Amino acid sequence: MSAPAENKLPQPVTIKDLNTDNPRWCVACGDFGILMGIKRFIVDAALRPEKTVNISGIGCSGRAPNYINTYGIHGIHGRPITLAMGLALARPDLNLFVESGDGDALSIGGNHLIHGINKNFKCVFLLFDNELYALTKSQTSPTTRKGHKTNTQPFGTYLEPLNPVRLALGIGASFVASTTDWMPDHLASTLKAAFAHPGFAFVHISQRCPHYDEANFDHKTSSWFSFLTHENGIAADKRLSDKTEVIVHDPSQITKAFEYAESPRRHYGLFYQDAKKARYDAILQNQTKSAEQKPRDKILDRFLL
Amino acid sequence: MVTKTVEKKRISRFEILMDAGFGAQSAGDILIKAFARTGKFVYIEPMIPAEISPPPRTRPALSGAIIRVADFDITNIGNNTDLILAAHEIVLDRRFDDGESNPQAKILLDVGDQSANKDSYEKVLKRVKDAGLTVIPFELDAESNAIIRSLGNSGKNMYYIGMLAAIYNTPHDAIITEIKRTFGKKLSEEVLNKNISLFHNGYKYAEDNIALSYEVAGTVRSTEKILIDGNTSLAMGIIDAGIKIFAGYPITPASSIMHTLAKVFPSYGGMVHQAEDEISAIGSAIGSYFGGVPSITATSGPGLSLKQEFIGFASSAEIPLIVIDAQRGGPSTGLPTKTEQSDLLAAAFGSHGDAPKVVLSVANVIDCFYAPTVARYIAEKLRIPVMLMTDFQTANSYKVIDKLPVTQLDDINKIPDFVLERFHMKRLPDTIEMVCANQADPGTPEMMRRVTGLNTDAKGVVSHSGATSLRSHQIRGEKVHHVQRALTKPEMFGKESGDLLVVGWGSTRGVIEEAIDMCKGENLSASGMHLKIVHPLPLMLKDIFTNFKKVVTVEVAYGDELAPPPLALLLRSATLADVQPALARPTGRPITPRGILSKIKEILK
Repeated sequence: MSAPAENKLPQPVTIKDLNTDNPRWCVACGDFGILMGIKRFIVDAALRPEKTVNISGIGCSGRAPNYINTYGIHGIHGRPITLAMGLALARPDLNLFVESGDGDALSIGGNHLIHGINKNFKCVFLLFDNELYALTKSQTSPTTRKGHKTNTQPFGTYLEPLNPVRLALGIGASFVASTTDWMPDHLASTLKAAFAHPGFAFVHISQRCPHYDEANFDHKTSSWFSFLTHENGIAADKRLSDKTEVIVHDPSQITKAFEYAESPRRHYGLFYQDAKKARYDAILQNQTKSAEQKPRDKILDRFLL
Repeated sequence: MVTKTVEKKRISRFEILMDAGFGAQSAGDILIKAFARTGKFVYIEPMIPAEISPPPRTRPALSGAIIRVADFDITNIGNNTDLILAAHEIVLDRRFDDGESNPQAKILLDVGDQSANKDSYEKVLKRVKDAGLTVIPFELDAESNAIIRSLGNSGKNMYYIGMLAAIYNTPHDAIITEIKRTFGKKLSEEVLNKNISLFHNGYKYAEDNIALSYEVAGTVRSTEKILIDGNTSLAMGIIDAGIKIFAGYPITPASSIMHTLAKVFPSYGGMVHQAEDEISAIGSAIGSYFGGVPSITATSGPGLSLKQEFIGFASSAEIPLIVIDAQRGGPSTGLPTKTEQSDLLAAAFGSHGDAPKVVLSVANVIDCFYAPTVARYIAEKLRIPVMLMTDFQTANSYKVIDKLPVTQLDDINKIPDFVLERFHMKRLPDTIEMVCANQADPGTPEMMRRVTGLNTDAKGVVSHSGATSLRSHQIRGEKVHHVQRALTKPEMFGKESGDLLVVGWGSTRGVIEEAIDMCKGENLSASGMHLKIVHPLPLMLKDIFTNFKKVVTVEVAYGDELAPPPLALLLRSATLADVQPALARPTGRPITPRGILSKIKEILK
């Protein structure tokens, strides 16, 4: 399912149209790559900026809506899904993108992630995963790798990280993909597939944070990860497809999806998709649409003595 | 057969006390509906345990209803019970703990299980007699007990309804009609008939054996009347106000608003969204309003705490927001099924970092119907949070009222004057300055904008400068000042000057009015005042207060001479008058007119 025709422009917007003031992220932050990916997608898909809403929580990821000239809500920590849920119910005509982080979505906002996934309302959910808290100055997040030193766990992070892709699969997400900030082609293909998905599209994005964790995500090499591809999935990054393993994975196969998610090796691509999963927002909207409409002037009549 | 003389009463109050799970609530509902349909005015206060069905014959199991019936309009549950019907001695003993008993009251005590609980009955009967009350013991006949056994130990409430209907001289038909309306669709004909037989048996027993006989005259209705409770009225008011999305999370005593809307909202173009938690519920209400679609969320004390961060966000991001708080006993889980007014300061000053908002309250079921309309008007006009305060007492009390004119609000600028006047308010200015000049809804071309909880300049761009922060505070503050300037003189009872002014807010309106009425016959120079919009407070309050030698509050909230209760604190701050609490009683029980009157006498002595 692609965007409703009326949400597209006859003349596509340009990247310049989507710029606001200059982003205030650190030099070489992975968020620049994701921001450009989102803008590129809006341009390529010819989405109308006034019909598009970016919704975020708090953290470096949370700043993203401020830097895209669509409508936007930069909300409170951990709660962007709740704002998006209300907007999805109220305004099914809008294109919704949620920008969240590993702290925002997996720690403080964990409950909403569970229920956003379960309610499967229509939005593209982007998890900017830099594997630590950055805006608050380097604390351990749910996805910080074991042993990595932070300000709150200075002798090295104690636990193995939580696995966001496996978590999303476990909750029953109808769309689970993973990509990175430094593969623009793959990011673009992922956003395209996610936007076309009729439901809650969970997109995990490995995001570099050179300021606090320079060693993480070696973006200059690619031998440490594999691409998952399929005719119903997401193509491998053009620039890197001949430089690392490419696995054909049918995204309808949930057991295999779990296997790849649980592997110690990283996998980027579409893990799982079920386009038929029921959508809570559509159910509520249809219920109202199909209910016999009654005039408000008789509202108190049934209480007459 | 006993001989009886019918005692004509203009007003009477009785109680039915049973174990939870045996139908005391439906008994109360059936009786008041039958009374209402026979031309009487009623007011009911349910007594609901905090658990679903505690073990029978234990003190926590008390479930019941206090019912006030009159031949004139009544505004509160009053005091001085004439008659108590208790299913056994334990619930009676528990009710005595409330310390409200009237020595003149008659107690119909079901002693069916006395033989198995001799000592306990003896003890309680002694307590009751020592307090000077009369006990009239009774037992169900063998046939009725057999029917109750065949119904799986249910139906005793029907027998009790029969007794009360006979004592209050209510025609059989009126009650049977209500029994059928309540259970006709849920029960098989056989079970329904057995219940009706139990009603007849109870009626006959009381007719033949109980000497008590009361008659409260019914009046012929000259206008169309409705019978409605507070939370249902709020739900209907939400629809009338043109709100389209209700987002909530289950919590007593707010849940029944969501239950009512879940059934009917789709037929009025609305949706009920049951969120995963309180925070999510308010987040979705804000998300909807950002999209330009009016929304509302409802909660109670603990949920209000959870929502506070988002309330501040809405204030900062200039997104309209309406939060209903159905207050219950606190702090923490407190008394979930009892009434209190202790959330006032949390509502007015909650969230962090000075997030201005407006606090409305409701005094009765009529206010409940119009409050969502007023809340929408203020919230959208000023783009700030509006807190709509009700409480357990108002939420659950039924009342007979004239059928209300609807507003069918769509455009908030067309809000009818009579609705604003009901809340003692004039229209707000046409244009209100916003922190961000652009307030376009998504979908508006060329007006794209981002909202944020960060401080911004007038263009909506994030700004950390001192000047923009100060400007934002001033503009948000001014929004509340607009309301303050629009507030007219609050409702007053009695003279405009005198020795004593008794002030209350929310659900205490009726008791204050009745207490001041009682003062007239006692030659006491006391007046009353009731506030609906409690934050901000009207500007002329200080002038009004100077016309009285003393100003006191009555609140269902704690306070003493060293710590003023919430309303007294607000009034002191706004007027610099030495406002003291006369009654600051968070007992979970409503304040009574008699309670206020005796305090007035004490103060004016």
